[in-house]
Amino acid sequence: MPEQWLEACPVDELPPGSRKLVKLNGIEIALFNINGTVFAIKNRCPHRSGPLIRGFTDDAGGVKCPMHGWRFDLRDGSSERPAQATVYSVKMENNLLYLSL
Amino acid sequence: MHFEHIDQLLKSEYAFFLREKNNWSLTASPQDLELVAHALRVLLHAKTTPDFLPDYLALVDYQNTDGGWSPFSADNESTVWVSAFCGLMLIRGNRLLKNEQISKSVQRAIDYFLDTQKADGHWVDPRWADLDTTSHPVSFFNVVLGLQEPYRRADVLRSWERGGRFIIDNQSADGGWYDDDFHPSGVEITAHLIQDAVVADLVIDRRLSGAQESCAKGATKLYEWQAQDGSWDGENVDHTMDCTRSLMVVTRILNDPRAEEVIIRGLQWIFTHKNEHGWGDFPGEETNLERTCDGLDTLLKYKAYQGNDRQEVIRLWGYIP
Repeated sequence: MPEQWLEACPVDELPPGSRKLVKLNGIEIALFNINGTVFAIKNRCPHRSGPLIRGFTDDAGGVKCPMHGWRFDLRDGSSERPAQATVYSVKMENNLLYLSL
Repeated sequence: MHFEHIDQLLKSEYAFFLREKNNWSLTASPQDLELVAHALRVLLHAKTTPDFLPDYLALVDYQNTDGGWSPFSADNESTVWVSAFCGLMLIRGNRLLKNEQISKSVQRAIDYFLDTQKADGHWVDPRWADLDTTSHPVSFFNVVLGLQEPYRRADVLRSWERGGRFIIDNQSADGGWYDDDFHPSGVEITAHLIQDAVVADLVIDRRLSGAQESCAKGATKLYEWQAQDGSWDGENVDHTMDCTRSLMVVTRILNDPRAEEVIIRGLQWIFTHKNEHGWGDFPGEETNLERTCDGLDTLLKYKAYQGNDRQEVIRLWGYIP
């Protein structure tokens, strides 16, 4: 399937240190701006579907689910737990953020 | 808190839960067994278990050869946390069902937990913190002992005591339990450990030295952690339900009257953040069935807690017949 870039939101709606939940193609996606880098991850934790948008981020580029603490690397969705989260590539054009779905 | 309101809420939420049966019943399709166990607990506390024998027997059918269960029914690799929840629902359900297949299944589950305990008393499950994981087989064994199940009783007693000791010995000086990876805030794990593991000793056997003090410190920590609005852990619905229920049984056994106000505030917050049907994981989140089962369980336990029989709420944990 060809790569599909979808507009997520204006860049200025996600300043460093902030987060935002968007819905694209019916999928809830949590966006995080950590130290100027924007990450996008499917909002539902693969463990018990906890909302990652309410998770705890760290400077190493991880997010920890608020329900039971599963941590995911926002760069590739990997985890020390038996699960893989879905992450999306992000690009910026014309002051808009786009995600690759 | 008016009983009339709670009764109306229970009626409508239970009807919603039944309408969703195809999404939690093993008689409909393979399922997430953590959800199934949550649903069976609702049936148990709504006193409708005898109407659902096929669901219990289906759970027996999904038991793995080692005596455990998998997080998803169709898989065959057992994990501790969900196995204990399934075993617990079967032993408690079978008090009413009195079914031989279920009895045998419970015995196989006992074998599984005796086989998988580590030398220092804890159990491991990659999906949960070790302390939380350990509380579940201990909880299962609490009920095995409380309901006088005779199978391998001496082994169970030894295993239970080692598991309980592991939990008490890992309590922090401030009264909470913490896990840096899974539960840094400590809220949910503390609520789990006092209600599911430690407090039962005070009504079953009083073998664990320090159990009373451990529960009292844990309960006090939960009081401290409650937010002004009545919630716990950053408006976490799941954890608020855990804390509210935990304080019902723990403080009833400890006879601590301070809990009443804390429990009411928790319940009011839970009521305020209910969706049209059911609950989500946080305010504004869409309803999910597991949280809805927890919500129903919380209401049913509160009814027992407020009833005339002061032991009834303890029965809803299975610690006394």
